[in-house]
Amino acid sequence: MRDKLRKWREENFRNSEQIVDVGEELINEHASKLGDDIWIIYEQVMIAALDCSRDDLAWSCLQELKRQFPDSHRVKRLAGMRLEALERYEDANKLYDSILQDDPTNTAARKRKISILRAQGKSSEAIRELNEYLEHYWECFLCSPFFLSLSFHSHSYAKAAFCLEELMMTNPHNHLYCEQYGEVKYTQGGLENLELARKYFAQALKLNNRNMRALFGLYMSASHVAASPKVSAKVKKDNVKYAAWAASQISRAYQMAGRGKKENKCSVKAVEEMLESMQITMS
Amino acid sequence: MGEVELSCLAYAKMYLHASQFPRCSVNGLLLSSSAAGGAVCITDCVPLLHTHLSLAPITQLALTQVDVWCSQTQQRIVGYYQANACASDSSPTPCALKIAEKIFEQCNNAVLLMIDGEKMFPGCRVPPIVMYERKDARWALKDKHTIMLRQWEETCSIVNQLFSSGDQALLVDFDSHLDDITKDWTNQKLNAKIMELVSPANGNV
Repeated sequence: MRDKLRKWREENFRNSEQIVDVGEELINEHASKLGDDIWIIYEQVMIAALDCSRDDLAWSCLQELKRQFPDSHRVKRLAGMRLEALERYEDANKLYDSILQDDPTNTAARKRKISILRAQGKSSEAIRELNEYLEHYWECFLCSPFFLSLSFHSHSYAKAAFCLEELMMTNPHNHLYCEQYGEVKYTQGGLENLELARKYFAQALKLNNRNMRALFGLYMSASHVAASPKVSAKVKKDNVKYAAWAASQISRAYQMAGRGKKENKCSVKAVEEMLESMQITMS
Repeated sequence: MGEVELSCLAYAKMYLHASQFPRCSVNGLLLSSSAAGGAVCITDCVPLLHTHLSLAPITQLALTQVDVWCSQTQQRIVGYYQANACASDSSPTPCALKIAEKIFEQCNNAVLLMIDGEKMFPGCRVPPIVMYERKDARWALKDKHTIMLRQWEETCSIVNQLFSSGDQALLVDFDSHLDDITKDWTNQKLNAKIMELVSPANGNV
């Protein structure tokens, strides 16, 4: 059970109901055998309990942590999260402000304050706070999926692109960032961005050839470039080739998926017809 | 403008979709199997995304595929639904308006449906939905009296049954389909389960 919790912690899964089930049992029945691991388990279970509206469990975990680490900023942040879950945003903010008074570089407290703005629907204020923070502490923040999700949320594609560029630099083998970058470029539109999108979708496929989003992305961006009146004959020819390759890979993947499974025949047929109809528009 | 009727099947799947991803914004398309003209009967829906709703490629892909599937099954896309991650905010986002506009280009009584997260709790007496229609070149709130949800109590009880039997986990949206293409975004299995629960006396699809 311990190992399950550790795996979920390390891989950042948010399967809160499972964590509460496993964690609660572990804490109630086997606390004495956990040694020092118990503190990080209390933290993990507490956060999951907040997710599942189990304030009773969250409260008891928090008490144990407060008792063991009375002056800890990390525990204070957890207390703040509990207040957020109870929608007592002003009280939570006061707590985070007191952490920031002691330690103005505390990223976790900053993030929580910005999350509160987001929960209250104040996304433009959230972005403003983020930008202010970035002026002083940008290194810590830019490589952050948190900033990325905020950029998407507020339709700030240029910021999202910038953030993904940082994330790709620090995580060069992550196919998801390449693919998301392709999607952002595609969304921004224009011939140059479409060509860039195609390259990044291709890169994502190199890293993981089963990324269907990247495969479809490659197909669509190459098709659009090929259909553009502004490209040279050579560029058109190359992109037709890329699109054709992507289409054949998509077809193959769907044929394999459709084998023997009656239930997804509809989705398989829809894809086949879509590929056929797009071929017609391209030629 | 005209009346809009929302079937149990469409409502149930939208509700399940929003419940499956409580921390994300989710969206989907509203379909009709009845002929154009007169009241809009929303008979089904296709859950689309729960990640990055504002990014274009996957949305375009999904719209194209649903379009193809609709022509294969004699259905039309008549609207769009979205549930925002922030439950207290049920106003349409720029991307919701954009997609609804696109649908309006093909269907002149298209509807935009926002799910009101704050009303999604057991025992709530009103449907947790806010509908918009195209009026004077903008999307305006629709008069509640023109929206019909037949057999509302029966619909609620069907949704509860789906949760208690665990069948809500059968719902597949387009995003989940892309993660595993053996999963069926047309939800044939779940549709069959829901139709079994809809009482024969209801007559309404």
